[in-house]
Amino acid sequence: MTDRRRINGPPSGTRPAVFASSLKSASGISTGRPQRERQPNELRKLFLKTGLIPSASGSAYLEFEPSASLAAARSSPQSLIPPSSALKLACTVHGPKPLPRSASFSPNLVLTTHVKYAPFAARQRKGHIRDASERDLGVHLETALRGVIVAERWPKSGLDITITILEAEDDRWWGDAPDSHDAPWGMMNVLAGCITAASAAIADARIDCLDLVAGGVAAIVSDETAEGETSSPKLMLDTDPAEHKSILSACAVAYMPSRDEITEIWLKGDHSKASLGTDDKNLGHEALIDGAVNAARGAHTVLAEAVKESAERFAGLMLGGNAA
Amino acid sequence: MTSTLPAVAIPGQRLGPIASFSAGPGTHVQNANIYASIAGPVLVDAHPSSKTKSTLSVSRTALRNPSAAPSSSTPPPPTTTTTTTSGPQPPKPNKPRYNTLPAVDSVVLARVTRVQKRQATVSILVVLDDSVSSHPLNPTVSASDNDNIEAILSSAANPENHSSSDELRFQALIRREDVRAVEKDRVVMDEMFRVGDIVRGSVISLGDQSFYYLTTARNDLGVVMARSEAGNMMFPVSWKDMRDPVGGGSELRKVARPF
Repeated sequence: MTDRRRINGPPSGTRPAVFASSLKSASGISTGRPQRERQPNELRKLFLKTGLIPSASGSAYLEFEPSASLAAARSSPQSLIPPSSALKLACTVHGPKPLPRSASFSPNLVLTTHVKYAPFAARQRKGHIRDASERDLGVHLETALRGVIVAERWPKSGLDITITILEAEDDRWWGDAPDSHDAPWGMMNVLAGCITAASAAIADARIDCLDLVAGGVAAIVSDETAEGETSSPKLMLDTDPAEHKSILSACAVAYMPSRDEITEIWLKGDHSKASLGTDDKNLGHEALIDGAVNAARGAHTVLAEAVKESAERFAGLMLGGNAA
Repeated sequence: MTSTLPAVAIPGQRLGPIASFSAGPGTHVQNANIYASIAGPVLVDAHPSSKTKSTLSVSRTALRNPSAAPSSSTPPPPTTTTTTTSGPQPPKPNKPRYNTLPAVDSVVLARVTRVQKRQATVSILVVLDDSVSSHPLNPTVSASDNDNIEAILSSAANPENHSSSDELRFQALIRREDVRAVEKDRVVMDEMFRVGDIVRGSVISLGDQSFYYLTTARNDLGVVMARSEAGNMMFPVSWKDMRDPVGGGSELRKVARPF
């Protein structure tokens, strides 16, 4: 389906021009892969702020800290191509508002979620019409949020949650891209970011929730050592897919810490291989889920601070009066 | 007992056991504990008669009154039965607005968008909160509780703003038999409402998929603001008449008691 109302870009993806000077040798590519410099259980820093979009009833902006390689490449660029990318997204919540006339009576809040990549968000240009991956993310986000919202307190009304992804996570390192048919691992991180940002925006809109739901990602990766051998699979939290040659499996969860409940779980990849041949028997999907939950706990601390800041700003007069 | 309560709660934060509190708006109960479900300041509504448990709630609106904070040591806030007159006594405890959605029995202000023989269609502009509906005789209280009501009304009464955002507002119907309590069969809708009037009504039903149902069958319900055919704001002279201060002409309306 083509979009006739706009002037579209080229139908196939565009890629920034690769200049000869940036690829001095074949080994240049392999050494160009960014390396993870964090500990396996160390998360990237989050920036989360609510209430940035005044016309919406609730909004939030989320940004991941750029990984060390990206930060280094930005300060002293070796190439025009950034080695990795860091997630940036904005979430708006509109509502509660009346349902459209055609909709049937609903005693509950009707939740609709839209996830849209900006055309410039990924290395591959995204069209204006939502593609399969964006619809997929929207469905995952809806299941994650549906278990959190107290829907029966808002009869006959609808809630629209719209997420615009300004910069997406890479699915893999760009140098691997041409010959890789790997799974889109970056979507897991995007989903986790969407869940955390949507939770903050819903709290900002003062829609009743059971808890602040946070998203987290963990993955089992087998990294190459310097000699080119693959090491034993390891569990890593908050993986940046550009930093790993082979991700065996990954898991994204939406987790409510105060109730210890998971509202959404998304497992991808083959984790049977990971549990074989290692001394740690506990490296199956349960370890993967536990790792993702731990990553979500980390995101929740940031989320709680951001929501608290929003509530205090909201009740600023009252607190100021008490302090005086 | 209020010492352990946080001043500001976030969703999912435990506030207290259900044994010592009862759950109010903005909270939910899980495993015999009260948890906050929205972010905002925590309120403790202590009843003067200590038989009932005090109600914990999380406020949806900002508090303009520091004395309503949970750490206040002022005498317990008067309940809704002790109506304060609009004297020079501003520290009235500001009741948090429970819900921005219309519910059954909530009093709303709405603008008439269409008048038919059997019904009038209105779009709901604002839902007045509990403290207003409990003593609606006092218009100054209703004005002070929601700062933005006046702004909403003045912009809604302006003919230029009509039909600009009706799609985003809840629609409601006032049926002919719900207009007034007496002589229901003699009601002529054209003599009760005109398009553009601001009506105070009470919700009687959530209705069907598209409309709420309102009633104005009470003395304090009916048209509160109206413009004459000449376009001037009219003032009420009786329960069924409003007069244009410029032209002097009189028009028929189902008028709400103004005080």
